[in-house]
Amino acid sequence: MNTYLSQVKAIVWKDFVTELKTRELFSSMFVFAILVMLIFIFSINLSIVDANQVGPGVLWVAILFAGTLGLNRSFTLEKENGCLQGLMLAPVDRSAIYFGKMLSNLAFLLIMEAFLLPVFMIFFNVDLVSHLTPLLAVVFMGTLGFSALGTLLSSLSSNLKTREIMLPILLYPLIVPIAIGSVRLTGQVLDGKSLADMMNWVGLILCFDIIFISASIMTIDHILEE
Amino acid sequence: MSEASQENDSPGYSLMALAGIGILAALVAIFLYVPTEKTEGVVQRIMYFHVPSAWIAFFAFFIVFLCSILYLWKKEREWDIYAHASAEIGIVFCSLVLITGPLWAKPIWGRWWVWDSRLTLTLVLWLIYVAYLMLRAQSEAGSIRAKYAAVIGIVGFLDIPLIHFSVLWWRGFHPQPKFITTEGLGAGNDPSMNVTLLIALGAFTLLYFLLMSLRVRLERMKDEIDRIKKERLYSH
Repeated sequence: MNTYLSQVKAIVWKDFVTELKTRELFSSMFVFAILVMLIFIFSINLSIVDANQVGPGVLWVAILFAGTLGLNRSFTLEKENGCLQGLMLAPVDRSAIYFGKMLSNLAFLLIMEAFLLPVFMIFFNVDLVSHLTPLLAVVFMGTLGFSALGTLLSSLSSNLKTREIMLPILLYPLIVPIAIGSVRLTGQVLDGKSLADMMNWVGLILCFDIIFISASIMTIDHILEE
Repeated sequence: MSEASQENDSPGYSLMALAGIGILAALVAIFLYVPTEKTEGVVQRIMYFHVPSAWIAFFAFFIVFLCSILYLWKKEREWDIYAHASAEIGIVFCSLVLITGPLWAKPIWGRWWVWDSRLTLTLVLWLIYVAYLMLRAQSEAGSIRAKYAAVIGIVGFLDIPLIHFSVLWWRGFHPQPKFITTEGLGAGNDPSMNVTLLIALGAFTLLYFLLMSLRVRLERMKDEIDRIKKERLYSH
């Protein structure tokens, strides 16, 4: 078990070192997310609609779009110079590769969100500080589900010729529960209401997380195989 | 070879005859036998196409799921062919649901489309399996394509209950199912309507199996041609 954890840790560490060296993924994700928010702000009239109503939707669209950029990079990077081959030749379980990549995708997204949330707070003039704990819980659950399924599909689409196109086409219909659930829960939190009233949504998103992490562990052996 | 294909054809013809009789019986029942519904009028007859199409779409996607699991387990080309054929047929019937739905909704609800749970679910399903077929179209034939498609076939079907609940809690508008209720099958309807719907369901199911057998045969022929081509290529 300990060796398994250190294998996962090594893969996450490798991704972080690469990112610190190149600094291309994080900045592009963050700027892209802000651009998405900006386009939404231009297309909706904030003086008419309530920011608490449209805000969560805009936030999550920005997160999901920027996250897709990150996922696309995640395995394409490994394809270059045959890094994936090296990973697969290493004496580690395939699921360790999956967990490593999933955790680093999750970490990049969470860091990006940590920067994005203050920007969101300023642009939409909403108060996030007073309900920070439930908000962070909601953001974490949603991002976990997105990374769990996204990493599986990214490992799959990276082998296709049209990988940048196929990843969102495969991913977006499948993350409908995450998209609807997270927006609903974020709206609930921003309204200052307790999450206890919406435990069905919390349960749904947790189910999504668990189902797709398990499905990925079971199927990743068939994808990472050459 | 020709003898073998002759043998393969004979069950195909009997299935074709059965499906043909079924479809004819369904058409007679829908347009001649069943009385026009009291409140909705003649447009309600579209239900006898709409509901069976939805049933076949879900059934076909379930078959994709089963065959995908069997493929990853056994790694036999046969299961890949079945999954592929079933996904294509599922998409056809899912499209039919999405076409007949608005045609029925416009005169009854007053608009083509409402974002109710079952409409949204069908649309999302359609998108998932279109993506599945695109994935198949974009990768080269072989075991890698089969494996990727199988993964999507499994993940996509596992997602259906989650999507169902999420869109159900998001909106709810669609009439509750009238035929399968807690009071029993088809309670409260004219018996002739139940009979017609059952005939239509049966006919569509036969049609599904007929299309499956034809599509599977086509795919096997393709494999055979590829094999012969390769043989020729390497024998010279």
